[in-house]
Amino acid sequence: MLAYILRRLIMIPFLLLGVASVSFLLSQMTKGDPLAALVPERMMSNPDIVNAVKAQWGLDQPLPVRYVIYLGNLVQGDLGTSFSTRRPVATDIAERLPATLELVVAAMIIGTVMGLALGLLSARFRGTLFDSVARIFALIGSSLPIFWSGLILLYLFSVRISFVPGTGRLPPRVTAPPDVTGFYTVDALIAGNIPLFLQALSHLALPAFVLGWAVTGVITRLVRSSLIEGLSLDYARTARAKGAPERTVLVKHALPNAMIPLLTILGFTFAYLITGAVLTEAIFSWPGIGSYAVRAAASLDYPAIGGVTIVGSVAFLLANLLTDIAYAWANPRIKVH
Amino acid sequence: MKHFSLKQGLSALLLAGTAITAAPALAQDSDTLVIARSMDVNSLDPSRAFCDTCQFYLTAVYETLVTLDADNKTLVPNLAESWEVNDDFTEFTFALKDATFADGSPVEASDVVWTFERLKNLKGSPSFLMDGLTGAEAVDAKTVKFTVEAPNAEFLNKVSAPYAGIINAEVAEANGAMAGEDAAEADKSEPWFLANSAGSGPFTLASYSPEAELRLAKNDAYWGTAPAFSEVVVTQIQDAVSQAQALETGQVDIAMQIDPDTAKSIRSGDVTTEIVPSFNFVYIGFIPGAKGMEEVLTPEVRQALALAIDYDGMLDFTVGGNGAKQAAPIPNGFPGTSGLTPREQDVEKAKEMLAAAGAEGLKLTAGYPNDNIYGVDFNIMMQKVQQDFAAVGVELELKPLTWAVWRDELGAGEWPVTAIYYAPDYYGSGQYIAYFAMIEGFPWVGRASVGKPELVVNPAEADLYAKALATSGAESEAAYTALGEEMMKDAIILPLVSPNLVLAYRNDIEGVRYSACCNLPLAEITRK
Repeated sequence: MLAYILRRLIMIPFLLLGVASVSFLLSQMTKGDPLAALVPERMMSNPDIVNAVKAQWGLDQPLPVRYVIYLGNLVQGDLGTSFSTRRPVATDIAERLPATLELVVAAMIIGTVMGLALGLLSARFRGTLFDSVARIFALIGSSLPIFWSGLILLYLFSVRISFVPGTGRLPPRVTAPPDVTGFYTVDALIAGNIPLFLQALSHLALPAFVLGWAVTGVITRLVRSSLIEGLSLDYARTARAKGAPERTVLVKHALPNAMIPLLTILGFTFAYLITGAVLTEAIFSWPGIGSYAVRAAASLDYPAIGGVTIVGSVAFLLANLLTDIAYAWANPRIKVH
Repeated sequence: MKHFSLKQGLSALLLAGTAITAAPALAQDSDTLVIARSMDVNSLDPSRAFCDTCQFYLTAVYETLVTLDADNKTLVPNLAESWEVNDDFTEFTFALKDATFADGSPVEASDVVWTFERLKNLKGSPSFLMDGLTGAEAVDAKTVKFTVEAPNAEFLNKVSAPYAGIINAEVAEANGAMAGEDAAEADKSEPWFLANSAGSGPFTLASYSPEAELRLAKNDAYWGTAPAFSEVVVTQIQDAVSQAQALETGQVDIAMQIDPDTAKSIRSGDVTTEIVPSFNFVYIGFIPGAKGMEEVLTPEVRQALALAIDYDGMLDFTVGGNGAKQAAPIPNGFPGTSGLTPREQDVEKAKEMLAAAGAEGLKLTAGYPNDNIYGVDFNIMMQKVQQDFAAVGVELELKPLTWAVWRDELGAGEWPVTAIYYAPDYYGSGQYIAYFAMIEGFPWVGRASVGKPELVVNPAEADLYAKALATSGAESEAAYTALGEEMMKDAIILPLVSPNLVLAYRNDIEGVRYSACCNLPLAEITRK
């Protein structure tokens, strides 16, 4: 197993180099003004400004030269400077990634716990009113566009009944805790600042729920259908014949088998949300990597596009690796080579 | 093994719920002013920045020689206590006040010279403010003299732009800033300006996190009247609805980008909304130099199309009546506009003119950014133009584009119609002439003609512009009026709407106003 993991880890830098090259070439070939984020529209006709900016950012060099420079910088860990923020892309990502990770981890916890519970209970009480309600809840979660559910829940819980505060990671008047992990909730706890932890948690709750609800929908349906299928198989019948109560059959026999497809979905969803939580980030003014990615793409910010692509690729590669390891753990019949 | 009962589970849930419902920190009694805004910062270096957010940031942190009074017309002293202008508007001499930078060092003539030379030589976005500057001289420590190559009565207005804020030369140079002729290549200070400031304004930059938060701290060494707040936080909130919600809950004190429709949805009695005219406008532009349009989009056809537009309906359609019509591409209230009358729709005349020009059944394409600017949805606006053109028998194909693609296609003559917007950099009509007039070498001549300036150049405008810059008062204003009329005759730029602006703030906030140069002067804001 260890050798397998090491082999996969060694492959990652080479895969990333390939991804970075494809990303660089595709973004350079995309139709659009490369100076969109560097020169304001009104200055586009000013040759002095345009030439100075091109020279400053190396855009006056031919594509192959720029490619070699980009790769050269990349292998030294330099992702370049963002056209939009004018800061190193690595700094931007380091600042934004923890915000996204905190949101996504919280959403995955909420989504997984709710999805598993609802899926289990739905399968157990199949065909009852509870089953219908749980399935409708799951269906709404996965069908409602987040820009709608986010805004409505924000209006309801923040504006109308003041159950949770508004947008952002903390109230604007509050200073963030000293940076250790980048997760405000965790850092506040590390700093021993419980009121700050509660504020960070209260800001995290609603966006995490909105994002987690969408995840819940997928997981509930998957768990329910896998369990129902499992409950009709031979091993379940045998367990029942041996006198095992239905709860035991469900939890100890059917559930472990339902975990295999669930792990795939969880791994994929987690990796997807790293760069795909854009709408939630926009509605809740959550300064994460998703909104950074969208802005980078819209303004043809090549260095930022490259940086975000690499982060997304790392997330997918690691999620795949962890899923494979979890497979082996969840199902001893699966061997890794 | 211990089992949790349903009751225990519910209690735990309730406890968790109670924990996360920690009351939000409300605005009242706070020494911090919080502003909601979707930030468009492209730099925090005064000589490189060029954006709406930059305008009020720079105004709060750096100070200009002169500034615009609350009447949005009169220039008043700022760092300069007085100034003299020679008769032909080529020499400008400023006497400086005894002001100090945030580090306690005095603001001196050498700082002003250094700032203006850097602004010019950096070839940054606002460098156009120093176009024509031929001399900058520190006469003594408190007197500075500038010379421009041709009469420029608008030079004073230009130096009131926030981008001309005076920088502490010594501090900036120590951090990589350069003002020499090679500044465009040699200056490496932009990252420093993203985390630090070197101005004399009432605030200093505390921290900046792109698209997240801009934090200003009170300048404790401020030489003028101290601001009311010890801290100003501009927090990133993307859309108008979320900004309104944050305002209603007291999470923020001011929301800067609420449109009139969203303002109507605010129910909280703790919020004040005021609708005021703005100096921003959105317009469509014709490109006679576009492929196959040279013989088609003639001045007569352009005039006919201008008459086809239902300007009153456009106001209702785009901003629900919350705006104003505008005659020429100079905003209402700027010098020379009082004598201009906005166009009116005349469908019959438009049809006649199109028939006379042999342009019946004309087919055009409009390429424009798929955007929402100043509360105007460009798709909705262009659909209205499409309807109006259809009423005179002209088919308009709409081609909404991403910002980067629109920019890429703009100079290539891919389509004969486009749409975009303009917000002032300072109070003065010259900036609009320098951008929109059909004078050879000017930006919109290049855009409209796509390399064939003879298609659009209007010889009368160059003389009128020179006259406007060489005179002042009524004479200058008359020249701008004449220029506005000429630009209306050109019918290259058709202003459609000047949208109103919503000032939305908590009831305990005072001093919120819209400034033509500086957007939102932060130092004037207080809490009751």
